[in-house]
Amino acid sequence: MRRSASKKKSGQSAESVTTDLFRSASSKASTKEMDRIDHLFNQYANRSSSLIDPEGIEELCSNLEVSHTDIRILMLAWKMKAEKQGYFTHEEWRRGLKALRADTISKLKKALPELEKEVRRPSNFADFYAYAFRYCLTEEKQKSIDIETICQLLEIVMGSTFRAQVDYFVEYLKIQNDYKVINMDQWMGLYRFCNEISFPDMGNYNPELAWPLILDNFVEWILEKQA
Amino acid sequence: KKKKRVHSALLVERKGSYLGLCLLLLPLLLCDSLTQFSPIFMSLPTKRSTFSAASASDDSSYSSPPMKKAKNDLHHSPQHPNTADKVGFHMEEDPTPAAANLSRKKATLPQPTKKLVIKLNKAKPTLPTNFEETTWEKLQSAIRAIFLKKPFSFDLESLYQAVDNLCLHKLEGKLYDQIEKECEEHISAALQSLVGQNTDLTVFLSLVEKCWQDFCDQMLMIRSIALTLDRKYVIQNPNVRSLWEMGLQLFRKHLSLAPEVEQRTVKGLLSMIEKERLAEAVNRTLLSHLLKMFTALGIYMDSFEKPFLEGTSEFYAAEGMKYMQQSDVPEYLKHVEGRLHEENERCILYIDAVTRKPLIATVERQLLERHILVVLDKGFTTLMDGRRTEDLQRMQTLFSRVNALESLRQALSSYVRKTGQKIVMDEEKDKDMVQSLLDFKASLDVIWEESFNKNESFGNTIKDSFEHLINLRQNRPAELIAKFLDEKLRAGNKGTSEEELESTLEKVLVLFRFIQGKDVFEAFYKKDLAKRLLLGKSASIDAEKSMISKLKTECGSQFTNKLEGMFKDIELSKEINESFKQSSQARTKLPSGIEMSVHVLTTGYWPTYPPMDVKLPHELNVYQDIFKEFYLSKYSGRRLMWQNSLGHCVLKADFSRGKKELAVSLFQAVVLMLFNDAMKLSFEDIKDSTSIEDKELRRTLQSLACGKVRVLQKNPKGRDVEDGDEFEFNDDFAAPLYRIKVNAIQMKETVEENTSTTERVFQDRQYQIDAAIVRIMKTRKVLSHTLLITELFQQLKFPIKPADLKKRIESLIDREYLEREKSNPQIYNYLA
Repeated sequence: MRRSASKKKSGQSAESVTTDLFRSASSKASTKEMDRIDHLFNQYANRSSSLIDPEGIEELCSNLEVSHTDIRILMLAWKMKAEKQGYFTHEEWRRGLKALRADTISKLKKALPELEKEVRRPSNFADFYAYAFRYCLTEEKQKSIDIETICQLLEIVMGSTFRAQVDYFVEYLKIQNDYKVINMDQWMGLYRFCNEISFPDMGNYNPELAWPLILDNFVEWILEKQA
Repeated sequence: KKKKRVHSALLVERKGSYLGLCLLLLPLLLCDSLTQFSPIFMSLPTKRSTFSAASASDDSSYSSPPMKKAKNDLHHSPQHPNTADKVGFHMEEDPTPAAANLSRKKATLPQPTKKLVIKLNKAKPTLPTNFEETTWEKLQSAIRAIFLKKPFSFDLESLYQAVDNLCLHKLEGKLYDQIEKECEEHISAALQSLVGQNTDLTVFLSLVEKCWQDFCDQMLMIRSIALTLDRKYVIQNPNVRSLWEMGLQLFRKHLSLAPEVEQRTVKGLLSMIEKERLAEAVNRTLLSHLLKMFTALGIYMDSFEKPFLEGTSEFYAAEGMKYMQQSDVPEYLKHVEGRLHEENERCILYIDAVTRKPLIATVERQLLERHILVVLDKGFTTLMDGRRTEDLQRMQTLFSRVNALESLRQALSSYVRKTGQKIVMDEEKDKDMVQSLLDFKASLDVIWEESFNKNESFGNTIKDSFEHLINLRQNRPAELIAKFLDEKLRAGNKGTSEEELESTLEKVLVLFRFIQGKDVFEAFYKKDLAKRLLLGKSASIDAEKSMISKLKTECGSQFTNKLEGMFKDIELSKEINESFKQSSQARTKLPSGIEMSVHVLTTGYWPTYPPMDVKLPHELNVYQDIFKEFYLSKYSGRRLMWQNSLGHCVLKADFSRGKKELAVSLFQAVVLMLFNDAMKLSFEDIKDSTSIEDKELRRTLQSLACGKVRVLQKNPKGRDVEDGDEFEFNDDFAAPLYRIKVNAIQMKETVEENTSTTERVFQDRQYQIDAAIVRIMKTRKVLSHTLLITELFQQLKFPIKPADLKKRIESLIDREYLEREKSNPQIYNYLA
């Protein structure tokens, strides 16, 4: 749903109604654009695997002048719907850059703030947040992510918006012994928690609701700490 | 009295039939009216009988029966013992006796007989001129004499006549006023004489009493003389008081004019009562008389009762405070009880009965109500600890007077919880926990019966508190109860009779009822029962079965199915062993010298035992194989698995000091039989030839070489079996008994066994939670978290925390049995 909405915003669907002539003209333009996008892809892709691998991504980052742990890179991956962490396929690359209408590095760089705005829209952010978790699942049939990675991921995804919550939660995760991994349900629970619960007094937290147990324990731990 | 007897006759009749009752009601009413007007009616029968005999003979049959009956009822002469019967019979004939009377009157009145002519004397009698004055003077002097307590010259009859005469001449109004005036003068004087009497209070009180007594006597005398006034004048004039009332009125008036007298009297009364409360003897008659005076004057309530109750309140407020500090609670309660009794007596002896209620209420408020919490705080625990049933009963009775039973109940609840908590939470005394709880419960029951009159809400409180305290600690109490039962049901409890055992079981069952985690109990009970059955250590199969049937009535057959299955297995095994002995396989193939008995256990009924490897000696192996062959030929398609850890043997041993029989476990037997071929073996040798698991083997060797009975010798000596230790047959072994038990080790519960039993229970609970969640979600498809939790709490029968449930729900989400509704994370969807 959201994806199609974002496409509409880029204006392509409006053009599709126009006549053949226009279409061929625009398709000519888009072919040119696509060529440039492919060109850009090849600039970073590994020759043998024809993928942009971690090395390529690092190079891309330095060209874009952002850190590879910057949230915007993750957002870019979200836009491309990249499936495998650390790699962009040709198809993903095309999908992302076309949507961003960026066919040069400088255009891409300029598109990033706009992309961030888009992702930060509440309707998109939950999807992005879930995507961030899935993006970190590297093994087949893997369902949960180890505590250490989760802490880093939290830092990237929510560090700027929910500073206090992230700090507390990371601290809690590091001292507790009950959980070694975090699953999707708990991950999404934390997102709701940050958005819904007043922090740090937890006034509206009710452990009798369906909050994942880890959050019950977390809240208990904070309240104990505060007392 | 007469009326009463009619009633009793009625009662007899009432028993007979309802019809009789209806018929009887009317005569009874009639009787009542007859007694009221008796002076009028009593004279009638004689008159009427003369009339009726002459004229109305046909009427007489109508009218006489009710009259006769009325007479009978009134006098109830003993020669008519069956009056009631008669009454019943007559009624139908005579439904309206009043009407009959009327008709009779009509019949008799118009009966003129003779004409009389009366001639009047024309000379009118005249009164002496100064009749009024002289008569009054006469009366006045008499009245004065009465008031001054002097003898007077007229006889009372003539005085009465004088009053009568004055009344006849319509001078009663004037006379009344004159008498009133006369009385007022004297009463005023009498009361004035009390003013300014600065004597001692008691003396003053007796003066007042004297004054009142005189007044009463004098007024009565005057009233007797002037009775005609009361009878004629006062009755006819509703606004005029009777002479006695008039006197009281005057007395009241003048008393109020001399407030000092009234105040001193009240003060005197109060101080006397206070003195009595301080255990001084006082003149109760004086008190009684003066209080009656207050009542008679109608000023009791305002003048006496109010200050009296205020004084009482103050007195007991002070006393309550003082005594609460000075004495301990039981003494205080005794004192309160005494005080209440005293005040009650006081109301019987001299204080007006109307004061009883407010008085007692005041005492209760000051001595009890205000101190309820302190009394409970200070004394309840001591009384309960000391099991002082009498004092507790007193407390209960007193508290019930001021509606403080709820506070008492709460104190009881917190006492039970606190005391029980000490028993349950003290891990060092786990051994005695069950016995302590039983003793505690028994003592509570005694107190409940003897002190709290088996009050239902108190009984429930004890139950609730017990349930609370026994579940304060998870699982352990349930386990200990099972073990306590094991101890009782195990052989070797000499000195306990069947009855004692039975009553112990009954008591333990009471505790069992309170346990929330009955599955823990079941697991441990089953484990112990299995050992008792398999090792033949059960004290009495009857007691075992009685316990099972108790559990069955308590928890249903589902709970005991498996336990009963265990008994069935044991019985079946006996039959199998019999037929094995008779079988051809056994007779032809078995080497002699060994007897074998096999228990065939159904998997599922019994606890699960980890399989334990052991290399059996050849002789035993043969037996096992032949039995297996026999059994499978009888019951084909079954799988037999030997549970070596549960086997036990009796070995014959030849020591140099004599032959012995050793009762040992199978493992012990296997180890010992190695020494048939060798004198000395190292730990490793034994391990190789038996292949018993390392830890188990160490335990086994320890029991043979380091325990009480040492049939092996370990070298080097020491309590624990180490690698490289050597073992030697102890040929010098000596013991007083012929048959020696070495297999106690089998009965003992190892730590591993304990944890594995507990773990299994928990594992089982998890499965049960998962199953319940899936069951519920499968039917509901979509359900909110709160509702799911509520339903789970209803379905699951063991104690459980919401957090446990959450964990299981999350695990099911993880395993994709459930998912959260995307738009509302509080709702779960079932994933088919």
